[in-house]
Amino acid sequence: MMRIFIGGAGAVGYQLTKMLVHDNHEIVVIDIDADSLEALANSYDVLTVNGSITSFSVLKGAGIKNADLFVAVSRELETNITACILAKRLGAQKTVARIDNSEYLLPMNRSHCISMGVDALVYPQMLAAREIVNLLAQTGTSEVFNFSQGMMSLYVIKLNENAPIINKSLNDAAHIDDSLLYRAVAITRDGKTIIPRGNDTFQIGDVVYVISNQKGISKITQYSGHQKLSPVNIMILGGSRIGVRAAAVLESTANIKLIEIDKAKCFELTDLLPDSLIINGDGRDTEMLRQEGIEKMDAFIAVTGDSETNILTCLQAKTMGVRKTIAAVESLDYINLAETVGIDAIINKKLIAASYIVRFTLNADVTSFMSLTASDAEVFEFIVRPGAKVTKGRLRDINFPKDAIVGGVIRNKTAFIATGNTHVKANDRVVVFSLPSEVNKLASFFN
Amino acid sequence: MLNRGFIILILGVLLIVESFFLFVTAVVAKLYASSDFSAFFISGLIAFGVGLVAYFTSRNSKRVIYKRDGYFIVSMVWIVFSIFGALPFVISQHVPTFTDAFFETMSGFTTTGISVFSDVESLPHGLLLWRSLTQWIGGMGIIVLSLAILPFLNIGGMQLFAAEVPGISHIKLTPKLKGTAIRLWLIYIGLTILEIVLLWISGMPIFDAVCHSFTTMSTGGFSTKNSSIGFYGSSYIQYIIIFFMVLSGTNLSLIYYFVTLKFEKLRRNEEFFFYIAFILFFTFIMFVILLQLPNSVESTFRVALFSTASLLTTTGFVTFDYGLFPQFALNLVFIMMFIGGSTGSTVGGIKVIRVVVVLKNIYYELRRLVHPRAVIPIRIDKKSVSGAIVSNVLMFVTVYALIFAVGAIALTFFGMDFDTAVGASLTSISNVGPGLGDVMNPMSYCTVSIPAKWILSTLMLVGRLEVFTVIALLTPQFWRS
Repeated sequence: MMRIFIGGAGAVGYQLTKMLVHDNHEIVVIDIDADSLEALANSYDVLTVNGSITSFSVLKGAGIKNADLFVAVSRELETNITACILAKRLGAQKTVARIDNSEYLLPMNRSHCISMGVDALVYPQMLAAREIVNLLAQTGTSEVFNFSQGMMSLYVIKLNENAPIINKSLNDAAHIDDSLLYRAVAITRDGKTIIPRGNDTFQIGDVVYVISNQKGISKITQYSGHQKLSPVNIMILGGSRIGVRAAAVLESTANIKLIEIDKAKCFELTDLLPDSLIINGDGRDTEMLRQEGIEKMDAFIAVTGDSETNILTCLQAKTMGVRKTIAAVESLDYINLAETVGIDAIINKKLIAASYIVRFTLNADVTSFMSLTASDAEVFEFIVRPGAKVTKGRLRDINFPKDAIVGGVIRNKTAFIATGNTHVKANDRVVVFSLPSEVNKLASFFN
Repeated sequence: MLNRGFIILILGVLLIVESFFLFVTAVVAKLYASSDFSAFFISGLIAFGVGLVAYFTSRNSKRVIYKRDGYFIVSMVWIVFSIFGALPFVISQHVPTFTDAFFETMSGFTTTGISVFSDVESLPHGLLLWRSLTQWIGGMGIIVLSLAILPFLNIGGMQLFAAEVPGISHIKLTPKLKGTAIRLWLIYIGLTILEIVLLWISGMPIFDAVCHSFTTMSTGGFSTKNSSIGFYGSSYIQYIIIFFMVLSGTNLSLIYYFVTLKFEKLRRNEEFFFYIAFILFFTFIMFVILLQLPNSVESTFRVALFSTASLLTTTGFVTFDYGLFPQFALNLVFIMMFIGGSTGSTVGGIKVIRVVVVLKNIYYELRRLVHPRAVIPIRIDKKSVSGAIVSNVLMFVTVYALIFAVGAIALTFFGMDFDTAVGASLTSISNVGPGLGDVMNPMSYCTVSIPAKWILSTLMLVGRLEVFTVIALLTPQFWRS
């Protein structure tokens, strides 16, 4: 249990509250806007304080001196940094600020931030761009999470009708033994997530979460019925920060066409992205897209500020034969809808930012934590402490929670997939997949 | 539409909680070798059994509640508690009809304190304790109690809490509702024990001390004696009870901040200031009026203070026959019954803060007549109050007055005279006790007709849940999907 102060009840603050409130944390939300606080207080069991997060008296009055974590997620960078400085001085254990300027993330500036009292930074657009890059690198998957610098990854795969494993059980699909390269750890079907056992079967339309080390990925795409594709031609719609950051990373390996509606912005973009082709135009203009060769694109990424445009243009791109489409969707309500209509992946920077912040609330030994967009399940990476309950025997013998599963183990720089026979040892890094109900029980196994 | 499964589940679990209190009363009845032991034991078993069945038939239901479910559950909980709480009266055959038993229990849970028993001294120990216990539970609120002890209510607890504890601002002492509920109950229990000890030291028998402490802290007003607190004839006991009545009418979170030495939170609490001011003001006027009666100055002062505290906090204890009051004093009684105590306490009535907002609004509205363009917000605790809240308060007061009036008129239809009907209607909706006319004495309701008892029961519930929660159920919109 932690005492967490959230500064800012905007979309990120709201999402963060929602993710944290069921884990028994005591949450105080501070915002200057009484209406958004009321919306929060009506739905969640949190204390709300009306006032500015950069005010000494408001922070003191809210009891900041007992805070284990202070997260400033208002819209303005300046407000967030100032709030973190104050909170730290007033006694908060750890502070996290949301920023919108990558300069702060540069290694040479890190020490300045820390000495000011800002312990960690969250840049939602940057996280979203990184996510896009990850998605493009792994085809056939709609999401991918890397653990321990990519030694182990969790792939989210939608099964289509060509997949050879349809109607096969887990045991048939891959004989579970110690040389296993990958393993399905969860299946989301009709909006419900289950932890599959040996004789559960795969169905068309299942979203399957597969844990794998580097050797397993080619096998996975083959089983899922998707073809391998390495994107060479990428079209990005929208010169938003997410689009620019993604293009900046991708432009060295792929041909990027970036379409932006605002002419002045286009000129700025040409300076930022010297190796990309910047096109001034409206993404809703199909003729223009055709002229720019959308049919030949390997991937289409829609990241304008308008969710509806992003969803519709992605669908359009899909009908024109683009194999991989990614849409940025701001409204959380649209996410499920967008996933079912056939867009390959959905990016929501607020959700990504909130998941990123949640890991600060977990035990210090958790190195990463992700919340999956298509399901309510969560993935953790733990470092096993000496003497932890999980080291007391083989996984099948220690009464591990039923709705959680150890997917993989990284020991001495080798990654392998866990089975019931695996015996976790101290100092291993383990990747654990869990439904929310078991999160508290999990902690007891790793402490 | 309503989440039927989860509603049944919650009601079931709460019934099991009620059965616990019934069993406790059964144990006490056994200790006193009271004749009603078996009545409580059987009632406890029935409540427990029904609760268990409800729990097992619906334990797999989807656990979500929306506002609508919140209103419904809270209203139903109070009704269900009253139905099962009425069983001991019926089984022990101390009442002629179920209506009387339900009326008595509803009067208990809503901390009203009007009674169908004109001779309570003839009741066995079990029933006497149960009457006080219902008030003690109802004073703090069934949902607040459940939030403190039942972990599963964490889901949707917000909705229930908001429906049971309306008021202008929600009192939340800690980030978690459960923490707040536990703290409120600890203070409540602590003060109750303190009062029991003080009353016991000053010569009240321990059983009476417990019962009276339960009904003082909850501002209920049930007594174990026919002449209420007046029976003991001890000014010391009366002053103790005055002190605890005034305390019970105070916002509990203020007491929490006082106990935890957070004095900075106490400063400039306008509601507390006006609450004390009202008590002093009405005591003074009462004192001046009552001086014309042939009593000593000290006893006149004591009667004035006791009546003011008892009526303003809607407790309803009596030390003096109101029938002897001059007409003007009775009018004051009437006004005080409307006002009530502070929000966040166990009292009924409109509540001091709403009265203050209404009065300020009148004053500022008059100033706006002179300065049409002036921006003059209503300020409470040095903070301006939004127009939406002001209009909500005005609406509350209007609806409250309207329901009171409709209630009174309906009662005259069932044969009450005007004074009696007005008094009974007001004392029920404000959860006080003493009325006017034939029901001046809170223990004179045995003669009231059966339909009138149902009307009064409804008024008590509407008043206890601060009108909107129950009224919401009666609107067509509520039932439309």
